[in-house]
Amino acid sequence: MTTVSEPVAISRPVRSSRRYKSVRKNSRRIYSPYQDQQPSNSDDDDKIEERIESSDPEEMFQNIQIQKEIIANIRTRPWPMRHKLKALKQAREIVLKYEGRLTRTRGYQAAGADLLKKLSRLVYNIVVLFIPWEMRIKKIESHFGSGVASYFIFLRWLFGINIVLTIMTGAFVILPELLAGAPFGTTRSKTIPKEHLASAQDLDTIWSLGGYLQYSVLFYGYYGRVRKIGSAGYRLPLAYFLVGMTVYAYSFIILLRKMAKNSRLSLASASDENYTFCWRVFCAWDYLIGNPEAAESKAAAIVNNIREAILEEQEKKKDKSLAVMISLRILANILVLLSLAGSIYIIYFVVDRSQKLEQEKPELTLWEKNEVSVVVSLITMIAPSAFELVAQLEMYHPRTTLRFQLARVLVLYLGNLYSLIIALLDKVNSMSSTEVSVGSSNWSDSTAFLATIALPEEENLSTIVPEITERRNSTLSLGLVENTPRTIIPVALNKTASYEYNMKSQQDQCWETYVGQEMLKLSIIDMIFTVASILLIDFFRGLFVRYLSDCWCWDLESRFPEYGEFKIAENVLHLIYNQGMIWMGAFFSPCLPAFNVLKLIGLMYLRSWAVLTCNVPHQQVFRASRSNNFYLAMLLFMLFLCMLPTIFAIVRYRPSQTCGPFSGQEKIYDIISETIATDFPLWFSKVMNYVTSPVVVLPALLLLFMLIYYLQSIARSLKFTNNQLRMQLQTERTEDKKKVFQMAAARMQSQEGSDKKPEQESDLTSQESSIRSSSPRRNGSVANFESPVSRGNSIRTIAQSASRTDVNRAATTSQSPSIPILQKQRKEQIPNRHPGFLHGGASGSCKSKSYHHVAYNPSSRYTENVHSDPLFRKSIRPMHPEALGGGGGGGGAQGFSSRRSHTTRYVIVNEHEARKKLLRSSTRIPRHYRVDEPGGIVELYPRHIKRYSIQTPQRSRQPHLSEEEEEEEEVKKVRRGSFIQTHRPRSLSDLHQPARFYIGEKVESHHSLVKDLMKSCYGFYEDGCEVEWEDAASRPRSRTNVRAADPLEQHPEPPVKPKLKHKADPCLTESDSASIASSSDQQNSSTDQYIQVIHSKEKYLKPTGKLAKKKSKANIDFNVSGSNELICSNV
Amino acid sequence: MGNKQTIFTDEQLDAYQDCTFFTRKEILRLHGRYHELAPNLVPMDYTNDPDVKLPLQLIINMPELKENPFRNRIVESFSEDGQGNLSFNDFVDMFSVLSEMAPRELKAIYAFKIYDFNTDNFICKEDLEKTLNKLTREELTAEEVNLVCDKVIEEADLDGDGKLAFADFENMISRAPDFLSTFHIRI
Repeated sequence: MTTVSEPVAISRPVRSSRRYKSVRKNSRRIYSPYQDQQPSNSDDDDKIEERIESSDPEEMFQNIQIQKEIIANIRTRPWPMRHKLKALKQAREIVLKYEGRLTRTRGYQAAGADLLKKLSRLVYNIVVLFIPWEMRIKKIESHFGSGVASYFIFLRWLFGINIVLTIMTGAFVILPELLAGAPFGTTRSKTIPKEHLASAQDLDTIWSLGGYLQYSVLFYGYYGRVRKIGSAGYRLPLAYFLVGMTVYAYSFIILLRKMAKNSRLSLASASDENYTFCWRVFCAWDYLIGNPEAAESKAAAIVNNIREAILEEQEKKKDKSLAVMISLRILANILVLLSLAGSIYIIYFVVDRSQKLEQEKPELTLWEKNEVSVVVSLITMIAPSAFELVAQLEMYHPRTTLRFQLARVLVLYLGNLYSLIIALLDKVNSMSSTEVSVGSSNWSDSTAFLATIALPEEENLSTIVPEITERRNSTLSLGLVENTPRTIIPVALNKTASYEYNMKSQQDQCWETYVGQEMLKLSIIDMIFTVASILLIDFFRGLFVRYLSDCWCWDLESRFPEYGEFKIAENVLHLIYNQGMIWMGAFFSPCLPAFNVLKLIGLMYLRSWAVLTCNVPHQQVFRASRSNNFYLAMLLFMLFLCMLPTIFAIVRYRPSQTCGPFSGQEKIYDIISETIATDFPLWFSKVMNYVTSPVVVLPALLLLFMLIYYLQSIARSLKFTNNQLRMQLQTERTEDKKKVFQMAAARMQSQEGSDKKPEQESDLTSQESSIRSSSPRRNGSVANFESPVSRGNSIRTIAQSASRTDVNRAATTSQSPSIPILQKQRKEQIPNRHPGFLHGGASGSCKSKSYHHVAYNPSSRYTENVHSDPLFRKSIRPMHPEALGGGGGGGGAQGFSSRRSHTTRYVIVNEHEARKKLLRSSTRIPRHYRVDEPGGIVELYPRHIKRYSIQTPQRSRQPHLSEEEEEEEEVKKVRRGSFIQTHRPRSLSDLHQPARFYIGEKVESHHSLVKDLMKSCYGFYEDGCEVEWEDAASRPRSRTNVRAADPLEQHPEPPVKPKLKHKADPCLTESDSASIASSSDQQNSSTDQYIQVIHSKEKYLKPTGKLAKKKSKANIDFNVSGSNELICSNV
Repeated sequence: MGNKQTIFTDEQLDAYQDCTFFTRKEILRLHGRYHELAPNLVPMDYTNDPDVKLPLQLIINMPELKENPFRNRIVESFSEDGQGNLSFNDFVDMFSVLSEMAPRELKAIYAFKIYDFNTDNFICKEDLEKTLNKLTREELTAEEVNLVCDKVIEEADLDGDGKLAFADFENMISRAPDFLSTFHIRI
């Protein structure tokens, strides 16, 4: 140790000056936090050198860790490349030098990581290639802004979903049926009845999805009921059911995931924070744009966007008379409600009428066949425009108008769909009720065909329900009587004979196919109407306006017809409605998703073409960004509501007996239980039985509810914390700023000489460091330091608002020792030193009080601190160095242990504004450390409460000041390990130690911006250790061996202590003489405790710290036990 | 590595890879691009770190930057002398920061530099006006520009000094949803 410490001591002036320089450099950083990299980099070099100097394994390990981190993170640092390369080279060298063994694994790791990165990038690039319509959307976006683009992005997203749905149904249902199912015409459910065969290819039959289309894979009825098809035994019915359910499950999952993702994205932009203008200015330009046209349209889009924002802003300021507005709004809502009710009534009426028509007329006209779909589509087309007209009455803010409009249109669409499906299900109900009675009759007969033979004359079975039931009952019994004998005789004859008769009644009863047909029909008609409306409303109007405006009596382009506007809201809702139809019908018509895919593709091209050619940008396009969950929420709502009728039908109605994969079952979902019962091992069905029993289901439900509740409460509290943190951050920032200004002001006022300047700068630096540390991400890497440093930091950053005062208190207590140092140094310059010790003690106490005044201002207001400075300087002046020296000398014995604790405690102080004082004092020290001023350590030993008594030793020590030489020798001996007796006291060194430490710490922590907390901690340790060495070196100067015999065991190894921290201490003492070891051990442990107390009980500490400080003034007799006592009282 | 002609030593390439978000190949390609800009100035052999700098005019004519309204500022912010003369190191650095892999913090630092036209380390109103005018190709009226500038400062200035310091800027940009997706250049 001695050998190491010697050169360090020698090189100290150089280094300190260098640090001084870097302090100045770093202080600049507060003004330019992002520009500081050059200076910090050069500091880095310094530090690296320093690190190389030390050969301690522990330190080396940490060093390597840090270098590794540098290497890992260097790319994220905002340095110029040249410096990065240099720093990287140095870091690499160090790592290589000290860490030979890990290189191979590191190489593998790096290679693996590289490979992974490359792969992911490749995949990403390929995926990007496959995103369709990217350019088209970008083009639209640049013309019409993000709002219109969001429609197309939404469309594309829906397209993606439909692709997946199509693949699911195609691969698992349609293809197996086509490949392995019974071919067309083999079974009756797959054959067109004879009487329909003639018209099966007619256009109007095809148009109404009858004929060949009806008996195709498009619809439920075509699928065979055979449990296993093909050679592989594909379970088509099971697959059909599972796929039908998976369609819903997948839609739900994908929707919810998307919503979650969006809300994650929008979390970053919390709703109450409004940076609309900022974002429109700073994030507007897409740096990817490299094509002049795109750039132009982007610029146009930005202008558009900014105007939009301005408009929105102005909209806020408008105000109108309240009464008129409210009445208007009420009126508007009444109108909307009326039209909603009207549309629902019309739909119901139309469905009802179509039913009646079907019953009454054998041949329906084209109009009559498509009446329902056409009416529904017409309503969906016209009503939104009506709503829009109505909305103009309301005079809401445009954004609100949009919301209202969307909500109304959504209700309208839902109403349409629901009234349609309810009417359909009504019909289904009547169908399946006849079905049921037929089924029951069949059941008695045990053959489906025979029963239908008995009902040949009931051709209109499905239609005239009430009559039928009665009639059938009579005929049924007849049939039964007739048929039973015949079943004994060959049935086949029978079958062929009755075949044609059955056909129609059977297949008309396939209600699933009917629903599917209706949905598909609706979808088709909807598509036609969309195309027509695009052509008529947008294109022809555009043409009309464009070419006739010259010869018209008014300006067509700016007055009445104008150009069509692209209405995002209606269009998005239309998409949602469309998707709702798909979801509603997908179970009964497996091809519906596939059809929808085609429809969406067509829509995409047609829409984008129409938008680009004949629409003008909406004058008030409002930002419905991609992260907006509004559309998705509506879609989710739609999905849920559309799923309900289907699920209801599946659960409620009995599947058709003669068609579809589930024919012959009581309920559609019986396929599951049937499969479980027959195709799975016994235990599985048992398990399933248990699982589905209420005993399991109810608790599971309960658990789910609890979970939901729990998560929700967590989310709520997180939100709350989030808000608080944000507010705190804001106040922190403003406060920090204020502090800086106040500091500057204080600096102007109290210009006490040229040496002040560096102080101030260092103040700024400290300030700045606190600013930086307040940004949470800096703390990220602190992890592996379990030192008080990190703890202190975490206390500060986490509990900033809540316990800020507490922490400060703790900080100030610990910091108090260093303050006196400053004063002491001042005093040196006072020429005559008074030997009056008692006097000194008194003044010392007074000083400490004044300090308290400063230190215990928990508000951490900078001004207060600054202003109190002079005051407390004044109070110091009368102090007598001798007295202080005496105190210090007296304290010598304790010095080490207490000092140690101080060093650790300083760390806590680190980030606090109080620290500036330390810094201030520290900056001065280089000038003074040569002076053999023994005074003033008194305050360094807050722990020795009760030792006021013996003051003589201090005086007696004074003479020793001149005996430097002797003591130096002694010290050397001590260092060599011959524990003669040590001069614990070394007050000066104690003085210097914290001071140096602060310089060092500051330099280190500011070496570079990029260096985060962890690193600064590390730096601190290094410096702490250096400081200790220097202490050792300077010790001789200030020496008195009065109390020397005491617990100085630790003395020989000062440098190690701070580094290894408390844990290391005991071992050190063990190496010393045994008798003393025990006491020192106690000491150590006591300091540990003390430190602990600081961290855990700041409040508690405060009084004790105060107390200790006061008492320490007169401390002379230093005993190990003394400190222990205090500690006990603390704990 | 596989190149017949050694442009960089393996060590150099490794170093570049560590210091940027690029792969070996991309770095070589970047060198190619750099070389393309001034074939007679830029040597093919970079193993001994030649001190070559290209002037701003050459750089901003790259198709990637040509349409960017802030091209001059971008190049200037990444040049070590602040004048827009880019050495190859700076050139790589520029595209590294603007690559899609770069983290938000890093991008924010440089974005601030770019928008700080007068390099006083604050985005003041003057800077904002310039930004806006470049962005919109001076299509906005003076009042509109004024209004927008005021609104921007009002929104983002947390400490009320009438200009945006880096902290304000970072705070604002860290919440912007599309900053990451727009502030990057694919090369």
